[in-house]
Amino acid sequence: MSDAGPSAAAAASRGATGCSQKELVWQSGKLRLYRYRPIARPAGGAPLLIVYALVNRPYMMDLQEDRSLIRGLLAAGLDVYLIDWGYPDGADRFTTLADYIEDYLAGCVERILLTHRLDALNLLGVCQGGVFSLCYAGLHPRRVRNLITMVTPVDFHTPADLLSKWVSKIDVAAWVGEGNVSGDALNQLFLSLMPFRLTQQKYVDLLAGIPDRALVENFVRVEQWIFDSPDQAGAAFREFVLWFYQENRLMRDRLEIAGRKVRLRDLHLPVLNLIGKRDHLVPPAASSALQGLVGDADYTALEFDLGHIGMYISARAQREVPAAIAGWLATR
Amino acid sequence: MADDLWRQWQAFAAVWAPGAPGVPGRPPGDGGFGFAPFIDAGERFKAAAQSLLDGAAGGPAAATQAAQNFSDFLRDEFAGARPPWNAGFGPGIGAGAPDSSWSEWPALGPMREHQLRWQRMSEAARRIDDAQRRLQRLWSDALRQAAADFAARLQPPPSGAADAEALRKLYDTWIDCAEDAYARIAHSEAFCNAQADLVNAGSQWRQELQAGIEHWAKLLDLPTRSEINTLALRLKSIEEQLRAATAAARTATPAAPAAAPAARAAARAAASGPKARPKPRVAPRKQSPARRRNARRKAKR
Repeated sequence: MSDAGPSAAAAASRGATGCSQKELVWQSGKLRLYRYRPIARPAGGAPLLIVYALVNRPYMMDLQEDRSLIRGLLAAGLDVYLIDWGYPDGADRFTTLADYIEDYLAGCVERILLTHRLDALNLLGVCQGGVFSLCYAGLHPRRVRNLITMVTPVDFHTPADLLSKWVSKIDVAAWVGEGNVSGDALNQLFLSLMPFRLTQQKYVDLLAGIPDRALVENFVRVEQWIFDSPDQAGAAFREFVLWFYQENRLMRDRLEIAGRKVRLRDLHLPVLNLIGKRDHLVPPAASSALQGLVGDADYTALEFDLGHIGMYISARAQREVPAAIAGWLATR
Repeated sequence: MADDLWRQWQAFAAVWAPGAPGVPGRPPGDGGFGFAPFIDAGERFKAAAQSLLDGAAGGPAAATQAAQNFSDFLRDEFAGARPPWNAGFGPGIGAGAPDSSWSEWPALGPMREHQLRWQRMSEAARRIDDAQRRLQRLWSDALRQAAADFAARLQPPPSGAADAEALRKLYDTWIDCAEDAYARIAHSEAFCNAQADLVNAGSQWRQELQAGIEHWAKLLDLPTRSEINTLALRLKSIEEQLRAATAAARTATPAAPAAAPAARAAARAAASGPKARPKPRVAPRKQSPARRRNARRKAKR
């Protein structure tokens, strides 16, 4: 046995912030917009903007060379941009969903469109970022050429949605108060969804196996990502829980952002919906509900026999997800 | 220290894979350091599993009793492994509340407002305690159900040596049973109500605590969170007005690069950020919706 355990864990802990080369192209407040350097012949078409969730860091999209959705997309010749929302602090507590969607996300889109002299781009929203992408597309349909949602909740009241049940009777305004919501509190909540697997079994899996350097490094990078949880801007968090989890406004066609109605039924652009069949955070039914909302859009749903995190980093996801996205875009 | 950790890791692996080559014994005197608690738990699990397997060879009655004993062992082992129910307010949730006897006194005189606040805190702390007890009870129910399911799955009990494969199979089966039982409880109305009561009471407790701290801060002429929040809101409002004015100025310009609905974002895109570059003089090409649809159809063909 080589010394593959603690030293590999320590080494992996030091630098998990993404593996592909990228450059900062725009920033506003704590937001950073990155453009990835190409690694293959350009496939043509509009650039692809990845909109990740607020609740974890976006480097999960590019964790390591053999576990990188972004690398797969670059290898397919796509021109990839990524939003990094940053770490909100006390000064961001009044940042609202309208700020995130109509200022930050929309600002990134405008910046990319100006750079490429285009009128529309491709949008890939992941998890909560998928909800933001749907909202943006609903508000600015002419700015989005193709919309891709990945493990994205749309119907927040499906029977398997444990998070939704837990927050249904919580006074979210009192819970948030006028502050931010700590990332540690959210981690506690997520671990409570499957406490035996997430706080016991996965460590036994790691420690009881014969230590292998690559395995340990991968485990520690994922572990770092899981617990590298930014605090949530209080106002946006309060709105997200109230409007989506408690009132299910997107599903009920009652959502307004910055005073403008989000009309998914008027969306007529091509939509690809990527669903994890074993997703415990976003049940498949919560995602697949999108089909009934997007009017006569050119809608495609692809289901993968994977969990929420497996959709980003499993070996199977590396083989199948980027290829599915690139293939779908190539035909549109 | 790294060497000690490494030896502990190997010792843990040895519990699960006895007889594997190159696996040393447990480092001496490791106490509660590093992986030591995992090793202790692993050794207890292995000993209990061995009793189960031995019991399986002793006839039907002994086997059933062994399965029951093993299930009870697991239930006890995991009793303390519950999630930390503090609603994100930290382990001190509910602490610092005055004695509940305050709630009996009439709130009169110059201390009236403080007394009312303490009474509300005390009441919130009582509700927190109640909700935590209910959650603990539900956790115990889940473990009891898991143990029963596990014992049922052990019929007929396995027999043979406690090798790595047998240990892992038993452990994984237990985790499956525990997770299934917990999921049933966690989806129940009783659990959701207890969670909500805990969070809501915790919110009130924190709100009263903040109010008390702000009161003392004002007496000492220290800045309070409320004052900072007021300033932050004013600043945000000014920023929004500035962006709106910038956007309005841009849309009034004939060569405005952004369409009206996106003016707010365009103002931000153009105005902010240290990577400011010369503004492009060419407006993005616009197409009518019909023209775009046609272009898309054409591309599909």
